[in-house]
Amino acid sequence: MTGRYLLAKDHLVPLLRKIAKSNRLVAPVLNEYGDTLFSHITDLDSAAIDLAHQPQNSLKSFFFPQTEKLSTYLVEKSPKTGNVRYNFYPHTVENQPTAYVGVRSCDMFAVMYTDMTFLHNGERDNYYQKRRDNAFFITLACNHPFPNCFCNATRSGPFLELGYDLQLTDLGDRYFVETGRSRGMKIVEQMGQFFKPASEADRREQFQLALEARGLFQRNVHVELASKILQEQDEPVGIISELSSRCQDCAGCAYVCPTCTCFNIADLPLDEESGERIRSWDACTFAGFSKMAGDHNPVQCESQRVRKRFLHKLLHDVAKHGRPSCVGCGRCVDICFGGVDIISFVDRVVKTIDHCRDVD
Amino acid sequence: MRDVLSVCTYCGCGCGLYLHVENNQVVGASPSRNHPVSRNNLCVKGWHVHEFIHSPDRLSDPLVRKDGRLVPVSWNEALDVAAAGLKGVKERYGPDRIGVLSSAKCSNEENYILQKFTRAVLGTNNIDHCARL
Amino acid sequence: MAGLATTFGSGAMTNSINELDHAQVVLVSGSNTTEAHPQVARRIYGCVDRGAKLIVIDPRRTKIARYADLHLQLRPGTDIPLLNGIMRSIIDENLVDDLFIEMRTENFFAMRDMLLQIDLDQVAATTNVSKCMIRQAARIYAQAQRSVICYCLGVTQHICGTSNVQSYANLAMLTGHVEQEFTGVDPLRGQNNVQGACDMAALPNVLPGYQSLDDPGVRNKFKQSWGVELPKTQGVTLLDMTHGGSVWSEGFEQLPEPIRAMYIMGENPMLSDPGIKHVEATLRDLDFLVVADIFLTETAVLADVVFPAASFAEKIGTVTNSERRVQLMNQAITPVGNSRTDDKIIAGIASRFGYDMEYESSAEIMEEICLLTPLYGGMYHDRLKGSWGLQWPCSDRTHDGTQYLHKYSFTRGRGRFEPGDHVEPAEPLSEEYPFLLITGRAYHHYHTGTMTRRSHTLVREHDRPYIDMHPEDGKRLGLQRGDMVQVDSRRGTCNFTVKLTDQMAPGELYCDFHFHEAPVNTLTISCSDPVARCPEFKICAVKAEKVAL
Repeated sequence: MTGRYLLAKDHLVPLLRKIAKSNRLVAPVLNEYGDTLFSHITDLDSAAIDLAHQPQNSLKSFFFPQTEKLSTYLVEKSPKTGNVRYNFYPHTVENQPTAYVGVRSCDMFAVMYTDMTFLHNGERDNYYQKRRDNAFFITLACNHPFPNCFCNATRSGPFLELGYDLQLTDLGDRYFVETGRSRGMKIVEQMGQFFKPASEADRREQFQLALEARGLFQRNVHVELASKILQEQDEPVGIISELSSRCQDCAGCAYVCPTCTCFNIADLPLDEESGERIRSWDACTFAGFSKMAGDHNPVQCESQRVRKRFLHKLLHDVAKHGRPSCVGCGRCVDICFGGVDIISFVDRVVKTIDHCRDVD
Repeated sequence: MRDVLSVCTYCGCGCGLYLHVENNQVVGASPSRNHPVSRNNLCVKGWHVHEFIHSPDRLSDPLVRKDGRLVPVSWNEALDVAAAGLKGVKERYGPDRIGVLSSAKCSNEENYILQKFTRAVLGTNNIDHCARL
Repeated sequence: MAGLATTFGSGAMTNSINELDHAQVVLVSGSNTTEAHPQVARRIYGCVDRGAKLIVIDPRRTKIARYADLHLQLRPGTDIPLLNGIMRSIIDENLVDDLFIEMRTENFFAMRDMLLQIDLDQVAATTNVSKCMIRQAARIYAQAQRSVICYCLGVTQHICGTSNVQSYANLAMLTGHVEQEFTGVDPLRGQNNVQGACDMAALPNVLPGYQSLDDPGVRNKFKQSWGVELPKTQGVTLLDMTHGGSVWSEGFEQLPEPIRAMYIMGENPMLSDPGIKHVEATLRDLDFLVVADIFLTETAVLADVVFPAASFAEKIGTVTNSERRVQLMNQAITPVGNSRTDDKIIAGIASRFGYDMEYESSAEIMEEICLLTPLYGGMYHDRLKGSWGLQWPCSDRTHDGTQYLHKYSFTRGRGRFEPGDHVEPAEPLSEEYPFLLITGRAYHHYHTGTMTRRSHTLVREHDRPYIDMHPEDGKRLGLQRGDMVQVDSRRGTCNFTVKLTDQMAPGELYCDFHFHEAPVNTLTISCSDPVARCPEFKICAVKAEKVAL
């Protein structure tokens, strides 16, 4: 059951201090260079928690690190037969409860989406699961979407209805607090001194903000329409070649994307007898990602790979999971100077198709 | 995890990037959004700049050639051998028979120190680097 | 750099990278910008999107060339005649900036007299670029208010590299496209701190900040600080060190007193220098070789002493990028293994010479640099910390750095026109060696690959040496994609996997020098520019044939 409370703004840091006693804290922090990144907070008093700007990284690397040691291996050579055996010793993930604070709806939604890949996809990924089990989310509803945001079009914001433990909405001098998962309720119970019940007027104020936020998006992106068009026909000719001619092959779009989960597994020898098996971020836009033995590559040219990524997001994932794997955070728009981002693609798909179509 | 701002080591653009550090290991890299050059972007090399740092091939100990083979020795021994070797050539042939190559991949401070060493200690202007390559 | 130093007085990018956003015309020459300088390419994309015109001069049809309004696909090594042709057209069409020439430059009349001798038909024949395109390029470049020239090693790595650079400088001065914001001549530097290594005088002919070796005042200043008299005679250059030894090498005179010992910090001449066979012979013949590096490179294996050095993530220090921006790298981790930073290694050797070079920190070293080098006078670490760095010249603590050079006047006073004449490549094609080989860099790798080839993602993306060839040539040689091809020059031989691409003009080949399996510099010629000593990496004659499996 959802409870509704108020938290005075002055009490946010004292609340976090209490939470930090038994949790690691991760929040958007404005650093000395003016960049805002989700960071571990070791000292609440010196960290400049920044809830005003969109963090440039998502939470992805906290659950699915850029490089992660999976196991060490030892090579065992039988003196008799000369046969070689690899013995793997899995690396244990450190088990520390972590509170993620100031998480925007898109990023929260993305965590739920990556669950589908790592937890509900047949096999469970132990490394991911451990981090996920230890996670506690205090999200922040977006009253004012950022310039490249379009989570309204992907139905992943700007306010959340599920997934969070606590959702904060900025009501000016105070936060409107909703409890989601049971852990959120528990915090409110344990630290009742910080919370007081919200009134009906507070609730109405929050609802009004949620309505108004939907009208504040600067981008009008027809994700669902594009998805529908792609289900019915191939994407119009020329779009992909136009976009891919500007692709830098840097993988930045996949790396900043909070729902992109391509990875590579590599065995890196330390010496002749041992080594490490690591998992690192990868991108389907890389040629090497799909290369097979004998150098055959089903997606030989850049345009095929760019196409694959977009169709994966807007077509194949819709077929598999019932919704596109884009949460509208706009990070790929910001990172790609070639303009090879999902908004460009959606815009072009929608634009070149018959304008007067009836889509419902 | 800490994020440490550094400068990409791979070309003359000089992108500002964060190195993500965990337990004294660099586990990732990402661009700085506000940096005037990188402006939230890196090329493929920048995104993977952390991958070579902990390569098992990294040299760990000084090596000195003994009986034709390079063998690990202590810092003291290696520095002694290096100094003696350079001194020997300087005394036998004069300072201008020693050449020094500095590096376009090292810092300004290191380059300054090496050219100072060349000029003030070795006593020659024979210093260059691969600016033209 | 010598080219810009003689014409403008300072061999560095005149503009900042971000100024490219506002250019009206960008002329890119000898630069595969999208792959080698992606951040510069990004600005070019941006300004072209906003309506700017792009001219690309390159023998290869690179990605940026495909994006250009005008691609002048010249015959390699014909930059000077092409530029002379463009300048002649500018004169013919009366697009010369008379006022600028009058107020800011010298030696124009020599330039004009030379240009008036130029015959455009002959230029077109020499360069393989049509007269019409030359005229168009001239108009586009000269008519705009803000035109920028970006060039890279495709211009400098020729036996006439200095003269090539001067030609671009001439073009900029002829039209007054320099000394201002958003317009200038910008050499793009290849490595992360080439600019800084030059600034710090890791050069045989100058002192830090390009101060003269001969100036008694400067010498005295350094003597006071360092406590020793400075050596007077100019030193020898890299190629003289690695080629002027007891072994003979074409294009080089044997030094009367060849180098007997070397200290090499973080470089790998065994892959990066031309004529590797000579380099190897020279290094093997040394009495003593010390190498400091992070990996056991092809050069380090020849050394008598190898020091393990710390990588960029393990030190605090500054690097200077292409646009003269001095930035502080923060230390992320402690040095790996027992490695040490290079300044500590050198200090250890110096102390054994009885000379004290112990500094508390690299910030203290920078204080000494600030004291002795007017160019870096205000580059204190505390100012660079928490900022995006400062662009030199920066004279003192109150100076905010310099966004673009040559405001009010050129560094040398007046800009000097240096008329140049066509120089034929050192090695002409022949019946036996009919292909022209161009060498350079690839997107996924860096220099001799010591770092990038240990990066598992980059290695997967680009795992072997490739050579680019026009499909017609491929067909003639019976090659298909993925076939192995053997390439021979008069000096050596290498095997590559062939990539058939219309990026190349027929008769021309391109490969990179990142792979020790195909040490491209066994093929290249050792001839170099007589002034800048920049080797002719961009042109040598080779033959190619399919390797039978």
